[in-house]
Amino acid sequence: MSELKDCPLQFHDFKSVDHVKLCPRYTAVLSRSEDDGIGIEELDTLQLELETLLSSASRRLRVLEAETQILTDWQDKKGDRRFLKLGKEHELGTPIKHSKPKKQKLDGKGSHASGPGPGRPKSRNMQQKMQEYEFTDDPVDVPRIPKNDAPNRFWASVEPYCADITNDEIKVLEDLLKTPEDEADYYKIPPLGKHYSQRWAQEDLLEEQKDGARTALSGDKKKGILGPLAELDSKDVDSLLKKSESQHDQPEDGCPFGHLTQRLLQALVEENIISPVEDSPIPEISGKESGTDGASTSPRSQNKPFSAPHTKSLEVRIKEELIAQGLLESDDRPAEDSEDEVLAELRKRQAELKALSAHNRAKKQELLRLAKEEMNRQELRQRVRMADNEVMDAFRKIMAARQKKRTPTKKEKDQAWKALKERESILKLLDG
Amino acid sequence: MALVSADTRISELLSELHQLIKQTQEERSRSEHNLVNIQKTHERMQTENKISPYYRTKLRGLYTTAKADAEAECNILRRSLDKIAEIKSLLEERRIAAKIAGLYHDSEPPRKTMRRGVLMTLLQQSAMTLPLWIGKPGEKPPPLCGAIPASSDYVAKPGDKVAARVKAVDGDEQWILAEVVSYSHAANKYEVDDIDEEGKERHTLSRRRIIPLPQWKANPETDPEALFQKDQLVLALYPQTTCFYRALIHTPPQRPQDDYSVLFEDTSYADGYSPPLNVAQRYVVACKEPKKK
Repeated sequence: MSELKDCPLQFHDFKSVDHVKLCPRYTAVLSRSEDDGIGIEELDTLQLELETLLSSASRRLRVLEAETQILTDWQDKKGDRRFLKLGKEHELGTPIKHSKPKKQKLDGKGSHASGPGPGRPKSRNMQQKMQEYEFTDDPVDVPRIPKNDAPNRFWASVEPYCADITNDEIKVLEDLLKTPEDEADYYKIPPLGKHYSQRWAQEDLLEEQKDGARTALSGDKKKGILGPLAELDSKDVDSLLKKSESQHDQPEDGCPFGHLTQRLLQALVEENIISPVEDSPIPEISGKESGTDGASTSPRSQNKPFSAPHTKSLEVRIKEELIAQGLLESDDRPAEDSEDEVLAELRKRQAELKALSAHNRAKKQELLRLAKEEMNRQELRQRVRMADNEVMDAFRKIMAARQKKRTPTKKEKDQAWKALKERESILKLLDG
Repeated sequence: MALVSADTRISELLSELHQLIKQTQEERSRSEHNLVNIQKTHERMQTENKISPYYRTKLRGLYTTAKADAEAECNILRRSLDKIAEIKSLLEERRIAAKIAGLYHDSEPPRKTMRRGVLMTLLQQSAMTLPLWIGKPGEKPPPLCGAIPASSDYVAKPGDKVAARVKAVDGDEQWILAEVVSYSHAANKYEVDDIDEEGKERHTLSRRRIIPLPQWKANPETDPEALFQKDQLVLALYPQTTCFYRALIHTPPQRPQDDYSVLFEDTSYADGYSPPLNVAQRYVVACKEPKKK
């Protein structure tokens, strides 16, 4: 049993045109006998009156179609949830606005096979049905045209945007927030590799070595000194390489010292003040120098005693000292960096990436927060629905009591009040 | 001879029409009963303030019956109206035939003596009786119904009323109300008669200079989209003349028998437009040239 206010029907007045009043000519013609007939001069008026009648009849037909459809829809839907809800929404005004998408979703899913709109999607069917009627003259026997499923497809496509947020979705979001550890890879600056000129030189050497090995293999096969020779060769290559490396490091051939050291020394030499300096730094240097000197006499094994750390550390120390003394600018490094275009580009991109991923993370967090909020609201809405049902139950009980002409019992009243209050409080929560 | 046979045909049709009208009323009284029933059920439901399954089922049954009744009624009314249209077209044929005969013999031109007032009444009458287009649900209004223009390859038939753009004596171009005499497919040209017999002029005009008038009225209650909308620029027949002038729609008709209310472009008024004047649906057509001259 439903209340009238929930009824979607509009109770149109289907009265037909009062032809006696509105269509005098038509009425006059009706009362005439066959012999009297109709005069040509009457046609115009008659036409207007018939048009009036037809207009009214076809309007009636349209309204009846619509109302019948509403009635069918309504009847098909057991429990009339939708219409009850519609009614409720009107009563409450804004509070349930949020549940609108929800409702659509429910309707889309509901047992009812047709579209959720109360009349509109169906009216197309109606029209199709009507066209059928044109051909057959018997509207009752016409089978129903297969339902138009466009509304269903539409609602199915909208569904994902209106559906409830599930725990799975929250989890996905959280996973997304967790992932960034592999991003560290993108911030690594790989060590500067060998300059291509060096690498090519090495490759050339290796090539030559191989060629040499091959000739040795073909030429000195009998001697069987292939292995040692090869070993020797590779040693040679290594030493050669080292040599070229050290040469690369040290602009001035033969001199193992950094250019700062050399410049400092030169400065001292030119000023001819070696003797006072001799006290402390010179012995150190000379010690080194003697070492190197000793080595430099035999060019073959030149590299061994030269071992770069010494001269290099000396250079570094001198540089540090110079910087500390304020004789050198310390902004050496960045200047050096700025020359490296690849590095500069890498840094730029990394900065971009950092900004972007920070922004993304912020958005993801925001989304997660919203999703969680929405979950809470969903829960509340669920409770509102339950409360609605309780209220309806109570209402039905009281109505049943009223129908049996007895006053509702105290228990029923209490229950009704309780249900109402609970519902109100949840709604307040939902609002707040 | 042809005229005589047309006469008998017309009287046959008239008696058929009479039959149809009687059937219409039978149909109507039959459905009347059911409609009263619906009315009563509605009232009962409203007083009881609730809707039991019993009423729902009952209402459904009643609606279905009423629907079938309404369809039957519509069908028979349509047949009656078709009959009237048939009679009218026969009458029209007869008139054209008479006119051609009159022109050839030149002995008694049929409308030579028609006074202007009579012509105006005739025009009003023909506007009034322009058939109303009442589609079945879901049917779209056809071309030449209300504001819906004719298809581009449409050719007006002899006797059709059109708006025709002609050069007046003083050299000005004017849209006049005219009647098609013939159409030459070879030249794409119409021969039209000025409706105002005072001019007694026959014009040969290219089809671009012809706008066919609507052949149905659009029903504002069911097909409002087939009407010109407010503020649309149209050509409308100025009341008590046979000339079309540019005008803006002031209000579209509200009921089938209503006229448009239009504002004619008129420089003698301060705002450039005349006060609202009524023009029948039949004499309002789309204006092809939006720019003001």
